[in-house]
Amino acid sequence: MLDTFEILTTSGVVLWSRSYAQVSPSIINNFITDVFIEEKGGAIAGAKNNQSAAQNPPYKADQHTLKWTFVKELGIIFVAVYRSLLHLSWVDKLVDNLKTIFVDLYGDQLKKPNTTLVHCHKFDGYFDQQLRELESTTATKGAPAPTFTLETDESISGNLGDEPPLPPGLKHRNAKAQDVAHDLPSTVESTPIATPTSSRPSTPGDHLVVGKGGPMSKMSRRARKMQKGPSAPMSSGDESSVRKKKAPKKGRKWDADGFADEEDDVQLDYSAAPNSITSDSEAEGRTTAVDSVDTSTWGTKTSKGQFVLRDLDDEVHDILASAQSKTSTTSNSGLVGSGLNTINSLFRNVVGGKTLTKEDLAKPMDGMKEHLIKKNVAPEAAVRLRDSVEKELLGVKTGSFESIDTRIKKAMEVCLTKMLTPTSSLDLLRDIELVTRPSGFSSQKARPYVMSIVGVNGVGKSTNLSKICYFLLQNKMKVLVVAGDTFRSGAVEQLKVHVRNLKELTEREGGQVAIFEKGYGGDAATVARDAVRSATSEGYDVVLIDTAGRRHNDQRLMSNLEKFAKLANPDKILMVGEALVGNDSVAQARNFNASFGQGRSLDGFIISKCDTVGDMVGTLVSIVHATNVPVLFVGVGQHYSDIRNFSVRWAVEKLLNSS
Amino acid sequence: MATAMDQLIEYIEYILTPSAPVFIVGALIVVLVPIIVHIFVSRATPYTNLPSVVLVGPPGAGKTSLLTLLERGDAATPTHTSQVPQSIELTVSVDQHLSFREAVKDDAPGEHKKFLLVDTPGHGKLRNFAMDSLVAREGLKGIVFMLDAATLDENLAAAANYLYEVLLALQKRVSATKTSKAPSAINVLIAANKSDLFTALPATLVKSNLEAELGRIRKSRSKGLLASGVGMDDVDNEENDDWLGEYGSEKFTFGQMQEFNIEVDIVGGSVTEAKVDKWWHWVSERL
Repeated sequence: MLDTFEILTTSGVVLWSRSYAQVSPSIINNFITDVFIEEKGGAIAGAKNNQSAAQNPPYKADQHTLKWTFVKELGIIFVAVYRSLLHLSWVDKLVDNLKTIFVDLYGDQLKKPNTTLVHCHKFDGYFDQQLRELESTTATKGAPAPTFTLETDESISGNLGDEPPLPPGLKHRNAKAQDVAHDLPSTVESTPIATPTSSRPSTPGDHLVVGKGGPMSKMSRRARKMQKGPSAPMSSGDESSVRKKKAPKKGRKWDADGFADEEDDVQLDYSAAPNSITSDSEAEGRTTAVDSVDTSTWGTKTSKGQFVLRDLDDEVHDILASAQSKTSTTSNSGLVGSGLNTINSLFRNVVGGKTLTKEDLAKPMDGMKEHLIKKNVAPEAAVRLRDSVEKELLGVKTGSFESIDTRIKKAMEVCLTKMLTPTSSLDLLRDIELVTRPSGFSSQKARPYVMSIVGVNGVGKSTNLSKICYFLLQNKMKVLVVAGDTFRSGAVEQLKVHVRNLKELTEREGGQVAIFEKGYGGDAATVARDAVRSATSEGYDVVLIDTAGRRHNDQRLMSNLEKFAKLANPDKILMVGEALVGNDSVAQARNFNASFGQGRSLDGFIISKCDTVGDMVGTLVSIVHATNVPVLFVGVGQHYSDIRNFSVRWAVEKLLNSS
Repeated sequence: MATAMDQLIEYIEYILTPSAPVFIVGALIVVLVPIIVHIFVSRATPYTNLPSVVLVGPPGAGKTSLLTLLERGDAATPTHTSQVPQSIELTVSVDQHLSFREAVKDDAPGEHKKFLLVDTPGHGKLRNFAMDSLVAREGLKGIVFMLDAATLDENLAAAANYLYEVLLALQKRVSATKTSKAPSAINVLIAANKSDLFTALPATLVKSNLEAELGRIRKSRSKGLLASGVGMDDVDNEENDDWLGEYGSEKFTFGQMQEFNIEVDIVGGSVTEAKVDKWWHWVSERL
């Protein structure tokens, strides 16, 4: 059953919610962060405006499934949360219908500036109505929800001992409509006792419950519990017995709508049949049985509830129907109207205040995409950026005297900044300090900070490693450089040269550096592990592990990385990527990011050779697009000091610079 | 046909002959058309000259909750991670110390003043809005930096980092002004939220922890690498540009910010228990 349904704004305020089971707020928070802010899960998984909930990929987390939809112009998100075990086929429809209703009813309130107040207390009724309607339609039609039957089966077998009247119930559940009709008379005959004593007053809303098949199943119990909450005041046992006399007539009215309901109630009665052997005469039994059926269907709509609900039903259907027709008809106001529109839009083009449509955006957006590709952004990433900018701009009004191009540029700047900005702060020195000199409060023991560097052949792994080493040495750290490249001849010697140079350069500064090497041919992972152990015992601050370059699509070489990550367990795994590389950067980043096994990924990128590409720093965007891993450093030259912190503003400026 | 023609000619003649009504109508058209066009064009831009107070802070601190509490007056609504900024209009009475509940009411006594309370998303990727508004926003009267005092142990580094950015932006704003006239003071309230929870630290401890952490960040930043682009593109690169507070001082204290006309107060409170009157008073004093 549904756990929670929430309507929230993009500014984070929950406008309306209904929850049936405790759901940790962190589930929805994570959902927002992942889907809307960080846009995880690949290309354009982000929120598409006004899309049906069925087309939005469900978000699964922590045994819950979230179905959602998003209305951009109003900035509201509709989320339904339920247990992943259940397959509720009607949730999509529920989310969509509620979206339509809510937007129709409260859209005006939502457009008001400078307030978060939306008076939507009445929405409870609409929600209940929708939930009931959709649940009952799916349940009675039977076909679209095969899992219901499955679950009922399980729970029935589980409850075998408690529920004596099983065999008929089982038979009945599998029966199709004709069988139901066929069984009806016998049911009626044999259920006299149930209602006169009002033995079932606790389940007034039972037409839903039984709709799902066998009675008293796990499902139905949960449903009943849920049903009891909202519709409790609508009916009670007393009421139904008082109204019994009137019931038959009015009940018939409801048959048109609730035909299936009646049928289902019969099912419930049927299951209770074997209990009621002590029935009176047949005729009497029949009348009471009819009474009982009617009272229970009547009961859900009795008392105050009836008229309200009926009105609500009609209203809701009207809203949904009008929304449907709105989408099907296109506004066409004749020749004069269209002529005026074109003049108006030309005027708006110049002075601004134009509402952007897909057609307006298509051409400049493609131009923007081309521009990005020229800057060496991989087409995949450029398309994603184009789409997200388009998403951002659709339906937006341009400001006064603002052309479409400037608006697009502005939006692209925001998009790029959002994409490249890391989620958390990336202060390497601070991180190292936390590990090597933990504060008095924390229980962690001081240990060396381990960093390793991976990448494709020849991108500058060793060079960047020594640059980082130089930077750390200037901060008076004790660094151990590990020659993890046990494969390529000359790799160890190359590192030795670096370490010798660094020693000479930083002698006066007070840093200490040493090399840890085991020659060639050994297993890099074990070398790294040994190095970390010895560094721990000798009190090093930082361990820098170099690794052999590997081609990202060579499965054999890449699989070693998983073992490496496990044995060395680095605090940071950095990948070096070349700024020179074009489209391949996406595949490189993806493969490396995925190669460390479950639960471990890259922690950052170093983009080398940025000085050689000028403005064409698109690789930065490509790799961040592919992995959502931030860029930490950029290499800007041949010297040890030519390494820089990555500045988002700098990159965005370069990318949008059109000279 | 002929009469219609005659009428038309008559009209034209009437319009073209100088007379009082024609002058008046003409003058009206000349005056009104530009005004109407102006209204037409600038209708979209909202009226934004209200003084404003910006809520910043790490995610999950309770910014949006505080906003809804102050707006509704009775209790905060449940909230989730914000993605876009949200501003609300609030009224504060100038001369009297009212609790926020009383101030929300329409018939609250005293002289009233309206202001905008702006909530910003705390997520790392969305902070640029908050940072932009610190620098560019007109009529900014104060900044409320909210943090979760109950989980400060784990989140100290993240919160302090954000606070560092905020304070640095404010400091740069002051030091960047070339004119002798100092820009209006923007004060910072550090609102230590969630004091209802058992693990929450009192305001004094929050203060000392933050000061220590800010000092450490300052130190490690000063030793860090230059940002890419610095030095290459001649971005303004002065000495001690990124040093927060008194340059060269050993320990960081919030008192050092007074040099830059920034006053920092730390007050505890709780949104869930609606203990926000102290913050409310702080805000009303700054307006």
